[in-house]
Amino acid sequence: MNNMSPEVALHRISPELRPLLCSVVRNGRVGLDSTNCLRVTDLKTGCTSLTPGPCCDRFKLHIPYAGETLKWDIIFNARYPELPPDFIFGEDAEFLPEPSELPHLVHWDAGNPECLLQLVKELIQQYHHYQCLRLRESSRLLFEYDSLLEDPNYGRNMEIYAGRKNSWTGEFSARFLLKLPVDFSNIPIYLLKDTALDPGEDVALLSVSFEDAEATQVFPKLYLSPSIEHALGGSSALHIPAFPSGGCLIDYVPQVCQLLTNKVQYVIQGYHKRREYIAAFLSHFGTGVVEYDAEGFTKLTLLLMWKDFCFLVHVDLPLYFPRDQPTLTFQSVYHFTNSGQLYSQVQKSYPYSPRWDGNEMAKRAKAYFKSFIPQFQEGAFANGKL
Amino acid sequence: MAASISGYTFSSVCYHSANSNADHEGFLLGDVRQEETVSISDTQISSAELLQVVEIHHHDPCAQLFSFYDYAGKVSEESLNSILKDRRKNVIGWYRFRRNTQQQMSFREQIIHKQLTQLLGVPDLVFLLFSFISTANSSTHALEYVLFRPNRSRYNQRITLSIPNLGNTSQQEYKVSSVPNTSLNYAKVIKEHGAEFFDKDGVMKDIRTIFQVYSALQDKLQAVCGEVEQSERVKEKIQEEVNKLKQQIALRKRKTAEEERRLREAQNADSHSTPEENTEPCEGSPLSGITFPTPSAPERPSTSPNPPSYTDLMSQDDSLLPSSSPPTSAALLPRPQAVGSPGHPTPGPTVMGLGLGHGLGLGLSASSNPVTTPSTPYLGNGDGSSSDSLDRQAAGQEDDDDEEEDDEDEDSSEYENLVSEGAHLPMVSASVLAQGRPAALSPDGDAHGSQAT
Repeated sequence: MNNMSPEVALHRISPELRPLLCSVVRNGRVGLDSTNCLRVTDLKTGCTSLTPGPCCDRFKLHIPYAGETLKWDIIFNARYPELPPDFIFGEDAEFLPEPSELPHLVHWDAGNPECLLQLVKELIQQYHHYQCLRLRESSRLLFEYDSLLEDPNYGRNMEIYAGRKNSWTGEFSARFLLKLPVDFSNIPIYLLKDTALDPGEDVALLSVSFEDAEATQVFPKLYLSPSIEHALGGSSALHIPAFPSGGCLIDYVPQVCQLLTNKVQYVIQGYHKRREYIAAFLSHFGTGVVEYDAEGFTKLTLLLMWKDFCFLVHVDLPLYFPRDQPTLTFQSVYHFTNSGQLYSQVQKSYPYSPRWDGNEMAKRAKAYFKSFIPQFQEGAFANGKL
Repeated sequence: MAASISGYTFSSVCYHSANSNADHEGFLLGDVRQEETVSISDTQISSAELLQVVEIHHHDPCAQLFSFYDYAGKVSEESLNSILKDRRKNVIGWYRFRRNTQQQMSFREQIIHKQLTQLLGVPDLVFLLFSFISTANSSTHALEYVLFRPNRSRYNQRITLSIPNLGNTSQQEYKVSSVPNTSLNYAKVIKEHGAEFFDKDGVMKDIRTIFQVYSALQDKLQAVCGEVEQSERVKEKIQEEVNKLKQQIALRKRKTAEEERRLREAQNADSHSTPEENTEPCEGSPLSGITFPTPSAPERPSTSPNPPSYTDLMSQDDSLLPSSSPPTSAALLPRPQAVGSPGHPTPGPTVMGLGLGHGLGLGLSASSNPVTTPSTPYLGNGDGSSSDSLDRQAAGQEDDDDEEEDDEDEDSSEYENLVSEGAHLPMVSASVLAQGRPAALSPDGDAHGSQAT
């Protein structure tokens, strides 16, 4: 009964409860980590075994929270579908929210399909408060929490999971999950549209685990939604600095934030720079341009002639252009290598400076071509065959 | 803390629960009592243990869910009163049944429990959780029950619920429940018919009767003890007498044996061709067989399993012989033997002597190996051993013992003895006859002045 697809769950549940569950499994996103949606497993029934199905009315709901997954039992009664459900909060036996803080429970309306989802959201909120209260067991971590709370950037988008105290060693651990207020809106669309999954909201989450109450073992981790990760250049974009010993979150988190923002800026800038570069080349080489990437501006191919020698130049612009130098690949149109490919030479280092603007780069590139081509021609004649 | 629920209450709750098509809940009525156990050990330090025992006597099922609380879990005291009425003071807990769920108190149950504790004023209110777990293919259903006392610390919440007499009562004692029987009908019937079973003190009549029987038995037993003691003493006296008499017999035997030996020596001096040598070379003298038992007699204890042989008795007591034969002749009387027993070769010559001129008779007697069984007033030996010995001699058992002790070359085959006796009879008869032996026992069992056993 694990990893049940939502449709199977919906099929087995009692018809009167189906709308409630529908909104939970189909649209249910709670918490900061909205890439993981709510999952339903262990569907059971409270009716006698002779009752013909579908009559399941109790199940386990998996809720992602602060890097953990909460497994809560939700208990309905199929014979009385108008009654509100009961909950068993799994291992959090001490979590007892105040019913008055749960308006959707007090005014339960079984006819409203969203009622259960809203109730779950309210419970998560209460759970968050409960976890924050548990932080009081460690003054250090409480300080971290309070300091973050004060900052409006982070305070509102925080999930805390205060781990169970290890009864043998008395160790207390906690995990902070923060949504980083980084603006991803200016990332070029082309970078974001390649992901196979529905990207959902673009979000960057920073998870900081404190393995002990004195914050001597701190493990930060950055989670990016898949499209952002791809846009920023893969998993290498996730390298963040280690948590400084003796440091605190209120200093560290902005650091990470800045890093990420810078990266995003780089990417955005790179895009613009590349566009500028291509534009300059287009204007300089005019009809010499064979083709170029008009969306991402990452590639450019030129067909040039020098003293009756025609050759192709492929320009590959890296993601972090202009910081990283474009790769020039010279290709002869006459000569083949032994493997049947066109004879080519790759040039990665040539006079270049990231501070030049597009025009300057185009000019310098032209100059470079002129200086390099004789060399290339000789090489082509020497090593290639016609 | 311990808890117990009577079997019928438990089954009633299960019945209600299993038949409901949804979750089910109700109240538990009963008693809480304190038990103090004082244990005394050798170290003289007594420790007292206080145990709180919760006893569940009845249950009160609720007709429907949310009957005394609302969606928020707030308990309404009015609804509570209307459900419980005057049973409110007996409430010691409540229960809930839900299928296919974990054995853990749920969110609403905890909220309700807190309020019930306050409203009912029971500090240690218990919560009994039933859950029915069914396997996916409905092949196995398990009813699980856990008793919680949620008002205690988190790690001490579960109490074992015992159901008395649920188990193998043939091995364990059947426990009587302390649940008070509040049935009016029961009380009436008991009152009506109680007089037949109970006397005015409230003790069951049967008990008194049995006790009386017991006392009577005890008295009789005491009396019998006295009798036994007396008879034992009498027996002791008689036993002493018998021992004395046996000693006397042995003494006399020795004397007669010595006399006979002297006589024999005298005879041997007269006749040189003594056929006795041929008769029983293995024995030496025909008389030796007769004398065999004599030396052995004193060896035997008076109450030994081997009582003295007839010949011993015969030789020592004249009165044994109804005939006028001298004691010595009695010694020569053939020892009584049953037919078929290994025969003593010595009776051969004695038989001859007893023939008294009846050669045929002798022969017959010899062939059939008869024996004279002298009457023995010593039948009663106090311990009955002598009569046994007589019997045994008649059966030939005694002969075995005698022969084994005295005769090394004893022939175990009866037929051989018979043959040997027959062969030697005529030889010996002359010498034996001279002594005037009494008549021998004829083959057909006629005893001449002797008794057959």
